Amino acid sequence: MTSWMDHQRSNLILGKNKSLRAPLDSKTAEKIEKEIQSDDLSLEMRAALRLKRFLENEKIIRMPDEHIYGWRTVPSFPDIYQEGEKERLQAGRHVHEQGRVCNLSSDWAGVISGGLLKRKTGHPARDLTIDAVIAYADRYEDEALSNAIRYGAEHYLDALKALRILHFALWASNVYHNTLGRFDQYMYPYFKKDVESGFITEAEALLYTEELFLSFNRDSDLYTGMQQGDNGQSLMLGGVTRDGKNAVNELTYLCLKASLNNRRIDPKINLRVNKDTPNELYIAATELTKQGLGFPQYANDDIVIPALVKMGYDLEDARDYTVAACWEFIIPGKGMDIPNIAAISLAKEVHESILSSIQTADSFETVLDTVKKRLQAAAQGVRREVDSLWMEPAPYQSVLMSDYVKDISSGAKYRNYGVHGTGFSDAVDQLAAVKKYLFDEKSVTRDALTDALSDHFQSNPALLRMLRESAPKLGRDDECIELADFLLDAFADALSPLRNEFGGIFRPGTGSAMYYLWHADEIASMSNGHLPGDRLAANFSPSLLVRDAGPLTVLRHMARPGLSRVINGGPLTLEIHDSVMRNKEGMEKVAMLVKTFIALGGHQLQLNAVNIETLKDARIHPENHKNLIVRVWGWSGHFVQLDAAYQDQILMRASYR
Amino acid sequence: MLGKIFDIEEFAVYDGPGIRTVIFFKGCPLRCMWCHNPEGLDFAPTRITKVRLCAHCGACNAVCPTGGKGKCTGCMQCLYACRQGLISIAGLDVRAEDVAERVYKNADLLKMNMGGVTFSGGEPLMQSEFLLEIRRLLRPMHAAIETSGYAEQDVFKRVISELDYVIMDLKVIDPEAHLHYTGVKNDKILKNLEILKNSGVPFQINIPLIPGVNDTLHNMNATAQLIKGAKQLHRVALLPYHKAAGAKYESAGKKYKPSFNENAEVNIIKAPFERENMEVIVL
Repeated sequence: MTSWMDHQRSNLILGKNKSLRAPLDSKTAEKIEKEIQSDDLSLEMRAALRLKRFLENEKIIRMPDEHIYGWRTVPSFPDIYQEGEKERLQAGRHVHEQGRVCNLSSDWAGVISGGLLKRKTGHPARDLTIDAVIAYADRYEDEALSNAIRYGAEHYLDALKALRILHFALWASNVYHNTLGRFDQYMYPYFKKDVESGFITEAEALLYTEELFLSFNRDSDLYTGMQQGDNGQSLMLGGVTRDGKNAVNELTYLCLKASLNNRRIDPKINLRVNKDTPNELYIAATELTKQGLGFPQYANDDIVIPALVKMGYDLEDARDYTVAACWEFIIPGKGMDIPNIAAISLAKEVHESILSSIQTADSFETVLDTVKKRLQAAAQGVRREVDSLWMEPAPYQSVLMSDYVKDISSGAKYRNYGVHGTGFSDAVDQLAAVKKYLFDEKSVTRDALTDALSDHFQSNPALLRMLRESAPKLGRDDECIELADFLLDAFADALSPLRNEFGGIFRPGTGSAMYYLWHADEIASMSNGHLPGDRLAANFSPSLLVRDAGPLTVLRHMARPGLSRVINGGPLTLEIHDSVMRNKEGMEKVAMLVKTFIALGGHQLQLNAVNIETLKDARIHPENHKNLIVRVWGWSGHFVQLDAAYQDQILMRASYR
Repeated sequence: MLGKIFDIEEFAVYDGPGIRTVIFFKGCPLRCMWCHNPEGLDFAPTRITKVRLCAHCGACNAVCPTGGKGKCTGCMQCLYACRQGLISIAGLDVRAEDVAERVYKNADLLKMNMGGVTFSGGEPLMQSEFLLEIRRLLRPMHAAIETSGYAEQDVFKRVISELDYVIMDLKVIDPEAHLHYTGVKNDKILKNLEILKNSGVPFQINIPLIPGVNDTLHNMNATAQLIKGAKQLHRVALLPYHKAAGAKYESAGKKYKPSFNENAEVNIIKAPFERENMEVIVL
């Protein structure tokens, strides 16, 4: 059994499974295209029919000894729009990313326990998708799977099989960033029943779980994202139950182990912790961190749950939170939040505020007031930009939501928007430098700074050196703390009065996603010594320009009380040299470090075991490092498959040993 | 009071109990062939360059008063000249108050994690007054030292009496071999070991395991004999040689030339210690 798993793991690295794929022949493709683009059908019906045809055309592959099915054999499938139709429909509307439903957490608990048949409502399109998925499952001629899909699972393995097929079909249905939610919660009843009754052993449960986890890597090269790996297959473990009790169970530990044994980029493991989390769980999680996959990403219940409640989420739902593709907090089954609808470049807004105010400002307060006003204007800009949202109907995803009587693209219980605040630390550092040199010490004149910024410090290299080397930086110098608090509040204040067209709120967050490159390109030089070509920090982390930051100071600086209002998600990222975790003692101390951040009130932490030497070698000899995995922003990917710009950003991060 | 340090490291996990902040003192009387902190050897400042990322543009040497060839004066011009920010200067004069303040800022976190401050190096006992001043400023924080034990006895005695934990190296017991591999005789070290054993301060003995140098049964037996029965001995830590030891030499503008075969396998010998009921850990 184990050797079969090893075989599967290595086949996936080599991409052998790709040989299973063949494009549709052009005649079939043409015929399907005509059918699913028919004028007589609503978009909803077209999407449902598309899924049906897609699954019909998938070949059924069953590998020897395989328990978990589902291999993509059709690499791509026609879309539902006629030539130019999409553009017509979307004209004048706001289209988020691909215009499709994405970043949701399905009601896996409900579907796996109750099956699909129960979710038939007489709605033609949604019911058609149910029939299509059942028909696809039936073709595997596995009664347990067929029953599980129809009526709900009986046993752990059946539940896993069903999840795989349901999730596989979700990708085929053209929605994306399909997350896996609180796996150790919705799967636990089956696991517990089977293991306690002796139906399966825990070792078998581990193998099945590994096989399921591995299956999420089979087709991930086909899944949409900025780079390969950015596919949103996140999975949440731990935390508390809907009634507030400790939710950590044996399956929580088993999942950490399965991910560790697989060493693959999917699913991306998240772990909810709180003040009651036992050391044992931190240590099991650190074992996984040590593998260098960038898992788990920690979220702090003690901060996140009250913050979600404050934002209007019901307490029970808040306790049930999971993450979207990367780190945005969402509610399984009930959320139709778009947690990444826009991003505000805090670095740029602060930069522009400084430029526009320092010549006339009578005090530093004036600069801060300008920042507040600019952030308000930027927030209103976002509000206007995202109005009149257009979204493709998603009949199959709708079936998988708690409220399956309506199309999910038209909303659900929660319909809030999330706005990333990027370049947070670079923004704080600019303010700190201006405060210190222009206002407190008055050692730099206002003209000197504006002149230097206008020619990228060409004529004033001394000022550049001072700003880069000795100016206060968040993560190192305590004088930045109050400015960090100010900026979090100002960002929250700017977004909190606004409502989207559906009455939802705008949730400010600390994520950066790929904006750490894009927003960096919009800025030339900044008052923190940032030069054209420099990158912004990923998510909620100290600037890449800071030297001599230490992990303890970083934790203390980044665990800010203001995060309770800036809680869309976006972790502090810490890179720890892998040699620190070389033995039990080192592992225990890394676990203590995580616990410290949680105790200090940090919201989210992403800990990476890195070896800079290995990364550098991988730049030179990519052929030797095909399976080297790194954390990018909210997901992990193969280092050698990343664009050079992303590789560079990772190499510039400080790593602690 | 001024002193020279070459680094402060937060979140050190192998330098005493709990999570620690380590202050690396600059300057060392020993010249161990396997030293992995070459920037800590000289008392004078040392320019450190991240050579692997260096594009060799020459901007650093162009501004250096010695053209990058002579002894570093610590003027910092190169640090500012490097566009990529690859240069740092190890060993500028710093005030004890500033060092203590930097450590103290995280005092609560260190306490939460059952840790404290560790004085390391280099050889911290070379700047004993500076060390004691920082220690005084940091009281009551848990404080440890990592030392070669090479110091005058009164200095050694005075410093350890102010500390909560001592980590002392016993590199090679044979005096001739000690002289050959470390550049100094070990008589002072062995005398200080006796002081340590009788001091009442809990301690750990570190043995760097260097292939073909000290990883022999004979040396381990001799070491075990010296420390057996010491009441305050917490444990013995064996530190197998890593080939990465030479990595920092190029960055510090030095050459790494060990006379032992660094590719040879390290013998990890625990038995002589375990026989005497000592706790042994491999770090």
